[in-house]
Amino acid sequence: MASRQPFTDTDTADEAVRATCDDATVCKRFATSKGYWKDPYIQYFVRSVGERKAPEINRGYYARVQGVNRLLDAFLKKTQCECQIINLGAGLDTTFWRLKDDNLMPRKFFEVDFPTIVARKIHYIKTKPPLSKPIIETHSTDSLLLDAHSLDSDRYCIIGADLRNVPDMEEKLKRFQLNTELPTLVLTECVLVYMTPSQSSGLIRWAAETFHTAMFINYEQVNMYDRFGQVMIENLQRRQCALAGVETCQSLDLQKERFLRSGWENANALDMITVYGVLPQDDVGRIERLEFLDERELLQQLLQHYSISWATKDKLSLGLSQVSF
Amino acid sequence: MTHIPEVVTEEKMAEAANEAELLKEKANKYFKEKDYENAIKFYSEALELNPSNAIYYSNRSLAYLRTECYGYALADATKALEVDKNYIKGYYRRATSNMALGKFKAALKDYETVVRVRPNDKDAKMKYQECNKIVKQKAFERAIASDETKKSVVDSLDIENMTIEDDYAGPKLEDGKVTVSFMTDMMEWFKEQKKLHRKCAYQILVQVKDVLSKLPSLVEVTLKETDQLTICGDTHGQYYDLLNIFKLNGLPSDANPYLFNGDFVDRGSFSVEVILTLFGFKLLYPDNFHLLRGNHETDNMNQMYGFEGEVKAKYTAQMFQLFSEVFQWLPLAQCINSKVLVMHGGLFSEDGVTLDDIRKIDRNRQPPDSGPMCDLLWSDPQPQNGRSVSKRGVSCQFGPDVTERFLEQNKLDYIIRSHEVKAEGYEVTHSGKCITVFSAPNYCDQMGNKGAYIHLRGSDLKPEFHQFTAVPHPNVKPMAYANTLMQLGMM
Repeated sequence: MASRQPFTDTDTADEAVRATCDDATVCKRFATSKGYWKDPYIQYFVRSVGERKAPEINRGYYARVQGVNRLLDAFLKKTQCECQIINLGAGLDTTFWRLKDDNLMPRKFFEVDFPTIVARKIHYIKTKPPLSKPIIETHSTDSLLLDAHSLDSDRYCIIGADLRNVPDMEEKLKRFQLNTELPTLVLTECVLVYMTPSQSSGLIRWAAETFHTAMFINYEQVNMYDRFGQVMIENLQRRQCALAGVETCQSLDLQKERFLRSGWENANALDMITVYGVLPQDDVGRIERLEFLDERELLQQLLQHYSISWATKDKLSLGLSQVSF
Repeated sequence: MTHIPEVVTEEKMAEAANEAELLKEKANKYFKEKDYENAIKFYSEALELNPSNAIYYSNRSLAYLRTECYGYALADATKALEVDKNYIKGYYRRATSNMALGKFKAALKDYETVVRVRPNDKDAKMKYQECNKIVKQKAFERAIASDETKKSVVDSLDIENMTIEDDYAGPKLEDGKVTVSFMTDMMEWFKEQKKLHRKCAYQILVQVKDVLSKLPSLVEVTLKETDQLTICGDTHGQYYDLLNIFKLNGLPSDANPYLFNGDFVDRGSFSVEVILTLFGFKLLYPDNFHLLRGNHETDNMNQMYGFEGEVKAKYTAQMFQLFSEVFQWLPLAQCINSKVLVMHGGLFSEDGVTLDDIRKIDRNRQPPDSGPMCDLLWSDPQPQNGRSVSKRGVSCQFGPDVTERFLEQNKLDYIIRSHEVKAEGYEVTHSGKCITVFSAPNYCDQMGNKGAYIHLRGSDLKPEFHQFTAVPHPNVKPMAYANTLMQLGMM
């Protein structure tokens, strides 16, 4: 969204949304330093461990990361990695590097985010060999295609674009060899809630119409129309961060329905309390012993207001609808 | 795999081991140059070739420590010991990791192990003593340092000779005493987010420590027919909500007595203001302003949930030490008219505890991991009969039958406790025999709950509930350990 207009209200709102990228990265950095899960790459995106985060926050991120990864890895296994992954609003996510280490790379991993965030990420990648090496190693030639807001290689591509401008985003993806015939996973983590319901349904519909065999994973708020949700909305408003799409975060049913009415065949939605309960419990036991949680209620409230929903369509009959926890 | 002749396997293993050693040497070199990222990388490669080498794990653990990845460091140290339980460095690494993670008890255990295994090793002994000293100095695990009597911070303070600068415009004690006008001025001062001079803070702390230390562990109070006591639950550093309670219910006075049932600090970002205000009123109305200890008036909680950080930021570590000492003297329970018992957490993991047992508790310490003192600060009621393992991992959950038996044995009517956030600010359970009151509305800026307080009249001792909602507070970034969704939700 190149504009020469002065800083408008939308710009402020967008800036606030971009700032949430740092929140997530900083929290993940802290949680991983405490041993909640392994992420050897996040330290290259944020150097210092930073201030302590409350234990319920760490547990919440643990549940999010483990939950999303389980579905993502299941998709990769069902497609035997003959697939694509598109992480929309990826921020400083490190999944590509994890998949490379775990030998679970898709044919190509795309990341899309605001140009300023993408520029930052590209800078980190360029200047930190542990980040660039896996990309260079998996590229067929000596040089990568690189400019201010995009980096393209055989297996990894990152693009600066505005997700609310779907035709523009699609054009950029196709320019970097997006293959609409491949089974594709689209991932949005705390992204759709920042755009209006019509904008997000545009994105969801685009995915359904572009790929015949695909999965969409969405992590974001849910059950927002209670007191807790209202408080969260107010808190964020004070940061000039509007949850423009909070309407669709009303209930698990609505989170499912938004897929079913946009061209997806199957949809599921679980709140994070449920997800927390179906993650491997011996590891959950391990992380619960890392830090003492003084008030369980806080964790439960938090988990109750976030959800993972996923939808599939399966022309190639790969059994995608069976992917679950 | 069955086809490979043994000779080749051995050769291959030796080869791999050699290569691993080379990689380790490479990693060591990087480590010396402080290039920890590469050190970790090459230790990892060495481990891939030779995964049963304790030294590689131990070295990588140290590299992780240097990059603040304490969780990984701990995991590697543990792995090193799994491979070789006699590898002394592994214990050292694990101890260091544990210390970085704030687990001092665990760290000390490992040092203890080394000393036991190598009783003549001077270095081991020194490390153990060092750890012990650090533990004591930081006062994190007083429970372990049982034999040495700790010197009080009070002894090393010279409050008399602390000077208050001319440009300090804030409240001062009058002739070294807390007065009504001092309290009024101080509360206003705090409201404007200003800092009380450290001399005044020290004066308050030293005096309140003296007052509290003279109280029994079980305080007994009599309300006359016409008296009314206001009982508040957790306030958790929510200073502006505390001011609101005083606005709604009147300032404390001999005619308007209050009891605050623990958890005054941590999580909320104005813990210092809350606690100094409460301590000030304790000094002003010692017989009609009561404070009981909560599980957050302890070193472990303060370290994790913000109070220690806040005191260190606004004052000094030494002042936090003094707060810690003062907290240890807070009484554990209060009995009103021999009929109503108030404590922060709840009842006991075992039947048969009497009021006399509570009275006799030697409370000037950090609470132990179990036992009546621990239960008083930590337990929770449950709806079903009997007792269960606590969801908190400490103490227990107790059912209506436990409450019934306890009340009967001690000739009481009901208990009032706090410790758990409730949407309505209070909750009546166990057929009215167990009441929870919680006075921190919109807890952590995220729960959206109401706060409540209880009016207890001497005439009938029936609880009357008053609810209130949160008031705005300055947009102060919460201390490092506290949490608000403003700061970071799960975005």
